[in-house]
Amino acid sequence: MRLHIHHTTSYRYETSVAHSTQYLRLTPNDSARQKILSWDLRLPAAASRTLDAYGNVMHVITVDYPHQDIVIEAEGFVEVDDCAMEKADTLSPLLFLRSTPLTAIDNTLATFALPFASIAKEFPRDAAWQLMMRLREHMAFQAGETDACTNAADAFSKKQGVCQDFSHVYLACAHAIGLPARYVSGYLYTQDTEHVASHAWVEVAIDDYWWGLDIANGIEAGHHHLKLAVGMDYLEACPVRGMRNGGGSETMVANAFVKSMDQ
Amino acid sequence: MSTVLPPPKGVFDEMLFDASTPRPAYGSYHQWLAKVAEQELRAKRSEAELLFQRVGITFAVYGEEEGAERLIPFDFVPRIIPAEEWRLLEAGLRQRVAALNAFLKDIYNEQAIIKAGIVPADNVLCNAQYQIAMRGIQLFRDTYAHIAGIDLIRHSDGKYYVLEDNLRVPSGVSYMLENRKMMMRLFPDLFADHRIAPVEHYPNLLLKTLRESSPVEDPTVVVLTPGRYNSAYFEHAFLAREMGVTLVEGQDLFIKNEKLFMRTTTGPRQIDVIYRRLDDAFLDPLAFRSDSMLGVPGLLSVYRAGNVILSNAIGTGVADDKSMYPHVPDMVKFYLGEEPILHNVPTWCLRKPEDFAYVDAHLSELVVKEVHGAGGYGMLVGPAATKDEVEHFRGLIRSNPQNYIAQPTLSLSTCPTLVDEGIAPRHIDLRPFVLSGKETRIVPGGLTRVALKKGSLVVNSSQGGGTKDTWVLMDDSTDAGTNSKEPAPC
Repeated sequence: MRLHIHHTTSYRYETSVAHSTQYLRLTPNDSARQKILSWDLRLPAAASRTLDAYGNVMHVITVDYPHQDIVIEAEGFVEVDDCAMEKADTLSPLLFLRSTPLTAIDNTLATFALPFASIAKEFPRDAAWQLMMRLREHMAFQAGETDACTNAADAFSKKQGVCQDFSHVYLACAHAIGLPARYVSGYLYTQDTEHVASHAWVEVAIDDYWWGLDIANGIEAGHHHLKLAVGMDYLEACPVRGMRNGGGSETMVANAFVKSMDQ
Repeated sequence: MSTVLPPPKGVFDEMLFDASTPRPAYGSYHQWLAKVAEQELRAKRSEAELLFQRVGITFAVYGEEEGAERLIPFDFVPRIIPAEEWRLLEAGLRQRVAALNAFLKDIYNEQAIIKAGIVPADNVLCNAQYQIAMRGIQLFRDTYAHIAGIDLIRHSDGKYYVLEDNLRVPSGVSYMLENRKMMMRLFPDLFADHRIAPVEHYPNLLLKTLRESSPVEDPTVVVLTPGRYNSAYFEHAFLAREMGVTLVEGQDLFIKNEKLFMRTTTGPRQIDVIYRRLDDAFLDPLAFRSDSMLGVPGLLSVYRAGNVILSNAIGTGVADDKSMYPHVPDMVKFYLGEEPILHNVPTWCLRKPEDFAYVDAHLSELVVKEVHGAGGYGMLVGPAATKDEVEHFRGLIRSNPQNYIAQPTLSLSTCPTLVDEGIAPRHIDLRPFVLSGKETRIVPGGLTRVALKKGSLVVNSSQGGGTKDTWVLMDDSTDAGTNSKEPAPC
């Protein structure tokens, strides 16, 4: 599927910011499943482009003049294949069994995941799918109940959350039953154009492949899913991660539109 | 007249062979001690305490009232190491640190030791100290741990054993230096009577090592401290001052265009080398702990671009972890093709069935530790434990064997120490500091820590441990000149 993406993130600060630094993971990688036809970033300062340790394209910007807002814009065209399996890269899946503060397991989550542990040993693919389905019975998609800092255990006990929370909870459980899994940040195409198109899902290592599973929607991550970055959790893969000196409180507005160019 | 109380049976005493005969290295010191009145020694000790307080050589104690600072007790009876013994230790330390650095390079790149089946993959890759952020970058000179502190003990068999490798931010070197200064001040005659290898040039060697860690010709070096509330802040300030470099906190630094800068009154100045005394997790809030106020946003990106050197590198902790320790002798063989000079304490890994069977059968004789535990938690000291405690631990290791290692109970050697009851034997360890730059440099000796409580094996300063000056004696074949006469860098 050929997709057109237009993503604008703007920050407005209460008072002037003297200095800010941002890590941007806003540029998709060209891979077997997604071909980048064109991609442009419009940024408030000169950016250096690099690859992070996961192989994500990362831009680093420092804005060192007083500013009260920052606008970050990404736009491009990408052709995505309908394939949820992707050959594993140079990083061993074993690295993706560790947890982070956002994906840490607690007793309740461990009890929830335990029934899948024995299937995971023999039939990891079945376990991965069943875990997703079981989790969706437990949690409901609900915006506004959680935020970027909500960890897996809290989201699970609230029984609701957004795609990020579903992914974190899933990762905590997958790791607990010995399935290497990682967080994916990207865009989702839906016909409902009002829907925010920024999205998060997971990838589970099955043999030599990463299998994309969209936990919040209970589906494989196919040609509606454009991958931006992978990491251990939201913080490692999110499109914009920044720190600033001063500025007071901030208002952030993110608009992402994904349109299909296929007729 | 000062008398030295005899050492307990079955323990190696550094000064005495038996109840009263000194070892050769202590011959003239022992004679001197016999002539000095104990009262005079106590007076010297009070003088030392006063001086230390004036210099401000203290460490903050966590968990006590805000800003509480304490002197680390200093004991003036030196630990003396004969020249030939030190030569062996020094060769062993060089070898061990070379192997550990080779291991770090390997596991962040080719992973040959994993492919060869010598270290299990999950042991390395699932270790929380293994930093994915170190993948895909090449380090200058392939050095990961520029500064290593290797903890050694001497067992009752008279041999040294490595207890632990410290490759993250080893501390304590300021005490080594201040102890020497104090000893020279209090007992100048002893230094005239003994040929004691110098240690005062350590800051020069450290600076040289830090400068050599960078490909930049005339690099700017700084010391990065978490700040004055850190327990080792004194040492951070001390080393910066001794090296003549700037002591900075994270807020003094910023990144721009893939470079790291320090804010100065005359404008930004580019930094090439950071001697960081800050744990990995706090270095860059955009890459690690996002709540860290101690690091520099963006630092990791500059580091990965090769435009700043971190000393030590990120992710060295995977090599000094308890679960990796049993593999260090194999690393020496695998990377250097040599037999290890320094002994490891024999260690049973309970995830191996044959090791488990042995430990299960000898539980009450052994020390059992959690692989990732620290600070003496989750630990069984078999000989000191009750039957119930042993059985409780048996339950733990049976339910989760891979989480434990076991070692024989070692007796640390003793060294006479001035305490209330007189000059009495107290247990000690030794932490030499190994600097890896263009070449490997070690000042003779290191920091000797002493457990001041009778019979105690806990030498940690946070738990009532003290320190001693460490004398490495020189003989005619000691190459004393090479290190001490190196000119200070401009």
